[in-house]
Amino acid sequence: MKSENLIQASIEQTRQTINEIEKLKNKDLRSLIWKQAPTSWSVLECIEHLNLYGDHYLPEIEKTIKNSKTEVETEFKSGFLGNYFAKSMLPKEKLNKMKTFKDKNPLNANLDITAIDRFIVQQIKLIDLLDRARTVNLNKLKIKTSISPLLKFRLGDTFQFFINHIIRHLKQIERIQATYS
Amino acid sequence: MKEIIALSEKTITLNRNEYLKVKGSVDTNIYFVESGSLKIFVLDDYEEQIIRFGYKDNLIVSLDSFLTNKPSVFFIQAIKKTVLKVITKEQFDEYLKNDTHRILWSSMLESLVLQQIEREIDILTSSPKERYKRVLQRSPQLFQEIPNRYIANYLRMSPETLSRLKSVDLNQE
Repeated sequence: MKSENLIQASIEQTRQTINEIEKLKNKDLRSLIWKQAPTSWSVLECIEHLNLYGDHYLPEIEKTIKNSKTEVETEFKSGFLGNYFAKSMLPKEKLNKMKTFKDKNPLNANLDITAIDRFIVQQIKLIDLLDRARTVNLNKLKIKTSISPLLKFRLGDTFQFFINHIIRHLKQIERIQATYS
Repeated sequence: MKEIIALSEKTITLNRNEYLKVKGSVDTNIYFVESGSLKIFVLDDYEEQIIRFGYKDNLIVSLDSFLTNKPSVFFIQAIKKTVLKVITKEQFDEYLKNDTHRILWSSMLESLVLQQIEREIDILTSSPKERYKRVLQRSPQLFQEIPNRYIANYLRMSPETLSRLKSVDLNQE
């Protein structure tokens, strides 16, 4: 895949994500904290879950881009594991449940509408990082995963993993809203 | 202008705060604002600086992308619910194959250059009062269409300063 295509598609997806989430601000707070069962997530909990991931990945990506001495490479090639993880994040037609790491579980955290603002600030940051990534090597730069500092993915795979994970939970938010109404 | 709008085959609607375009994207479309309003801004370290506005009957375009096919630094965000007609660069290039249309286009570009000069002088004018007076004289409609706090940002002054200038203005009349 061309590096530039990856960047452009990711920026466009992020624009759409922001617009989707902006719509939630017009909703009643009750619908945003509603949950189907005590152990399932509300809309705000989904968003906070994404915020917790952003708290890890965005500073890691920023640090890596800042310290980079690499040069641009036109072609991006996924790593084996990075590609696998990025793809596995995408939601399937049928609901495929995944397990959440304990430190990324926002269940019953006391959340309010500021979770949405925090999310949008993170997405603007992501756009900035994607734009800045145009000057570095998406293959050579490696980002520590939140699973273990020993497990690292290529910057290009990390962007895709990170964005697919967001898409996954946007779908979940859609489902929660459909069940609520 | 009507002919250019007629080229459009697509309409999009944005709700308040939704983005038409974000930094780093390549956007070569021309947009005609049917209703609503938008702000065009750049962002550095989370500080927003508004460069232009678009409201009813305006054409807006990320001119840097449009001319170069490269990423543009601009964000374009709806201030309120906005309906836009989209004219693609391909449709526009086709339109420009006609000589009369090309003359029209170059006069549009000329008027744009003049607007840019006015804007440059705005920004370089040190007195907030002068900046306010220049814009009020040039685009009185702006003050009907756009909320105060965005105009204040555009004029590089606090909303309080703008309110004060506006009230002084009224008292003199």
